Amino acid sequence: MTLLIEFAIALLKVLVIVFGFVMALGSLMTLTERKYSAFMQKRWGPIRAEVLGFRFGGLLHLVADGVKMILKEDFIPSGANRNIHTIAPAMGLFTAMVIFAIIPFADAWCTGLALPVEGMDLCFGFDDAEALQSAQPAAVATFAPTHPYFQIADLNAGLLYMFAITGIGVYGTALGGWASNSKYSLLGGLRASAQMISYEVSMGLSLAGLLMVYGTLDVNEMVREQGALLWGTVPMWGILVQPFAFFLFLTASIAESKRAPFDMPEAESELVAGYFTEYSAMKFGIFSLSEFVMVVFIGAICATLFFGGWQVPWLYADGFHFSGDSMLAAASGGAWTAGELQSYVQASTPDIALPYGLVVFLRIGCFLTKIILMIALQLQIRWTLPRFRYDQIMFLGWKILLPASLINLFITALAILLLR
Amino acid sequence: MPKCTINGQAIEVDRGVTVIQAAAELGFDVPHFCYHPALSVPANCRMCLIEIEPPPGRPPMKLQPACYTQVAEGMVVQTESERVLQARRAVLEFILVNHPVDCPICDQAGECKLQDYYMDYDAQASRVRTSKVSKAKVLPLGPEVVYDGERCILCTRCVRFCDEVTGTSELTVTERGDRSEIRTFAGRELDNAYSLCTVDLCPVGALTSRDFRFKCRVWLLTSTDSICTGCSRGCSIHLEHHRNEIQRYRPRFNPEINEYWMCDAGRHTYNEVHRDRVQAPAVGGQALTWPRAYEQTAARLKAAVEAHGADATAFVFSPQAACEDLYAARGFAEGALGATRHYVGGRPEGAGDDFLITPDKNPNRNGLLVMFPRDRRPAPFQRLLADLEAGEIKVLYMMGSEIPLDGEERARFLAAVAKVDLFVLQAPRQDELGPLAHVLLPAATHAEKEGTYVNCDGIAQQTRQGLQPIGGALPEWQVFVQLARRLEKPLAYSFVKQLRDEMFKVMEENSAAAAS
Amino acid sequence: MPAKTLVMERGKRSFWVQSYLPEVANGLAVTLKHLVRFITRQEESVFTINYPEEKRQYPERYRGLHRLMVREDGQVRCVACMCCSTICPANCIHIVAAEHDDASIEKYPRIFVIDELRCIVCGLCVEACPCDAIRMDSGVHCHSFTDRTTAFLNRDLLMNLGTYSAAKQGGERSF
Repeated sequence: MTLLIEFAIALLKVLVIVFGFVMALGSLMTLTERKYSAFMQKRWGPIRAEVLGFRFGGLLHLVADGVKMILKEDFIPSGANRNIHTIAPAMGLFTAMVIFAIIPFADAWCTGLALPVEGMDLCFGFDDAEALQSAQPAAVATFAPTHPYFQIADLNAGLLYMFAITGIGVYGTALGGWASNSKYSLLGGLRASAQMISYEVSMGLSLAGLLMVYGTLDVNEMVREQGALLWGTVPMWGILVQPFAFFLFLTASIAESKRAPFDMPEAESELVAGYFTEYSAMKFGIFSLSEFVMVVFIGAICATLFFGGWQVPWLYADGFHFSGDSMLAAASGGAWTAGELQSYVQASTPDIALPYGLVVFLRIGCFLTKIILMIALQLQIRWTLPRFRYDQIMFLGWKILLPASLINLFITALAILLLR
Repeated sequence: MPKCTINGQAIEVDRGVTVIQAAAELGFDVPHFCYHPALSVPANCRMCLIEIEPPPGRPPMKLQPACYTQVAEGMVVQTESERVLQARRAVLEFILVNHPVDCPICDQAGECKLQDYYMDYDAQASRVRTSKVSKAKVLPLGPEVVYDGERCILCTRCVRFCDEVTGTSELTVTERGDRSEIRTFAGRELDNAYSLCTVDLCPVGALTSRDFRFKCRVWLLTSTDSICTGCSRGCSIHLEHHRNEIQRYRPRFNPEINEYWMCDAGRHTYNEVHRDRVQAPAVGGQALTWPRAYEQTAARLKAAVEAHGADATAFVFSPQAACEDLYAARGFAEGALGATRHYVGGRPEGAGDDFLITPDKNPNRNGLLVMFPRDRRPAPFQRLLADLEAGEIKVLYMMGSEIPLDGEERARFLAAVAKVDLFVLQAPRQDELGPLAHVLLPAATHAEKEGTYVNCDGIAQQTRQGLQPIGGALPEWQVFVQLARRLEKPLAYSFVKQLRDEMFKVMEENSAAAAS
Repeated sequence: MPAKTLVMERGKRSFWVQSYLPEVANGLAVTLKHLVRFITRQEESVFTINYPEEKRQYPERYRGLHRLMVREDGQVRCVACMCCSTICPANCIHIVAAEHDDASIEKYPRIFVIDELRCIVCGLCVEACPCDAIRMDSGVHCHSFTDRTTAFLNRDLLMNLGTYSAAKQGGERSF
């Protein structure tokens, strides 16, 4: 019975996150990208689709594009490998969506009483504050279980999972290019694989510094670590402890997403449309959709790793704490007695007290806002910078980003060694 | 042996050599219209005026025509001095006074000396404000040549050609001054067998070829060194083509064979390259790809030869084919096919003359003969007709669709061919034999392959590939190599160089044996 | 006249320019500024032209469909010199010349076909024409084709767009 409930919850999470969030944002991106670039260039962008004279500022283009993609002729060139040609776009979208499994949209739900300890919420084994008050002061406080309702898969090796899946992501592109029986597609596919393999290296190394600082591969744990207050005031977000790594990671992951200025695999001025030259209809749509989903994912993972993920600055389980002093101190023996907790709850109330449910709600909202801002940053970059030359891309990947991330790793290690 | 200095470079030449020839030897091109190395020198166009420096202390000399002035001892010549350039400008301006400048219409545009020299030496706007003299336009001088009086610069090259080379003297200059025109004598036509040479000679567009007129602009042509296959003279030609279609033949200077000339009939033989071509290999009327055609042809040949014996198998060599093809054909016929009866085909004899045209209308008969030892030369075609009618031949492999028979014999031959058990025809053209063939293999013409041809005087020449093969045509020797391999008696070569090395050795041996 | 050569000094680029980073930030700032000003309606001018309702004013030298000019008597001016088809970088002009009955005209295009789908609208044919026979000043948009063969505009179609040109060969144009 519990297994069935677990399964139902997992399914619900997948449905809500993948279809309610990822797919919605991904398809909205098709319009957003065009609108965003249009506004940057003093144009109106798509505004002409209309129903009964109403245009809704171009929102109907979403529907129009979808209908068009589905109704168009699905063309497979002669000499193409039909099976691989068909599977390739699906592989691209599959990896782009599966990767969302590790993104935590909020901290795991606490079934007991959540209290902040030095910037990290801990879930104590009391039903609520009243239950705590009535407990024996001398009793050692226990911990209540938490449920990862806001993350599809709470993996303790989440980042490794991410690298594994992005590694597979290149197959969709490379196979699509190879199976099309077109030289442009093949060149595009080759470029894509070379580029993605090159940048995967520096992408991984740029995050290694972060792993050393937080000491975990669990993505949710890394977000929780970012709630700690530095010098008692500033939340210890990834961007503060690893500013250099953020730029390296952002560059490498934009290169991974194959978008300008790294869109050599599709370089329309040289390769027509690169690896998806020979694709049409919904297969073409799926390729571009997976590209947009990748953009959303890069926004999400950047927000998660470097901008505190679901953390709202200074907001903890019981409300806002603008300084670390108002929080519970670390226990001397690794455990707290109920009395210590009772005195904390009575004495040091948070600066602004908020109920736990509202806190979770705010955190989800904050995370979504961060994602949208990161997407806007990527769009801004994509529509500002011109495309690199291919040799420049390889130069940047191997001769600049790779040494830079190694240096970053070295300095981080040195700093950790000296500070501890 | 007088010595002279031209533009500061000393040269020693034979007595009687003119300045224009001496300058050409040093690499100075003196512009000229009327001068032609094969014709007499009238020095009437004045384009080749050059400056000869006077002896010390004497006033400057009048400019002299380089084509007429013979080199004298100690002569100092300037071909590009300021005075010379000024004179050239003046001559060009004079010539252009009545020239219509209708280059867009004119066929000569692109290979016109007047155009070239105008761009090189004149290049100034016209100062003439009077109207131009109008003369005859589109006047046919003969069946091949059309005359435009307005474009004519009266260099008289065409007149001298007819006087000196053909000796027919059809042309003359009529009227005087700016009304002068080239005309045929009353009651005459420019209808000699070499009349189109006047079109080549004409430095401007005054004489145009009826055949080539308006067909293609000359700057679009690609020129390939080739030979004319109209008769056994084998004149050297520029084979000029555009979009894989031959547009014209033009004689290529070859002092040993045809000098600057070529006959009108030969110029028209390019039509043969495009006429009635076999488009694809066909076995039993069924068009096939080459690999399948090889297999099926070889199978049919094998079965037929086994059924009737090598003695009932005949092979017809064509003197139209190149030496490479004939050599491979001999190897194939004697080895792979095992045919014991060999014959010679080709075109029937025609009329000849005492200049270039020969009666034998096949370009490579000497090449064919020298391919065989004297005692094993193939039999004449009449023998084939007799043997066919006697019923001794059941399998016939024939190169080329030409039949060297006329009239009643030709009809008899066609009737006899229809009775053989297996008739393989490997030819560029269908003609009457195409429909009769059980196996039809397209062959490349001289325009589509590299080949060696030996002319009537025993001079071997090589053609270059100009066109992409039309239809599925292949050089015959390649087909023989493939068929021999399918018949499991492969020839010893598969590249043209191997074949040629072997072939020239055999040809040398045979010709040495024939000479002794 | 010999060509004058001017040696251009290649500007020195500073380390920060070469490092690309500040310039990226500058670029992002510029585009962001435009975005914000456009969204907040501080920038009034819009580049978008709502095509079927609004139309762009074509410049005077706009190159439209080709047209073949005609002589006084309505015959085609073209003398089939092939200059246009020779210069055409897209190889889209196909001409077959023929002998004209009138000896003063002498040569005319029996077939003159332009493949408008192949045409890259470079205007070199007009530049090359020595007879003012082909022009691209018709002002007519190349319409859309559903079949390749309908894009082959032949001589008579092209002449329908054409008008009389009294230009003298080698002389000035008179319009």
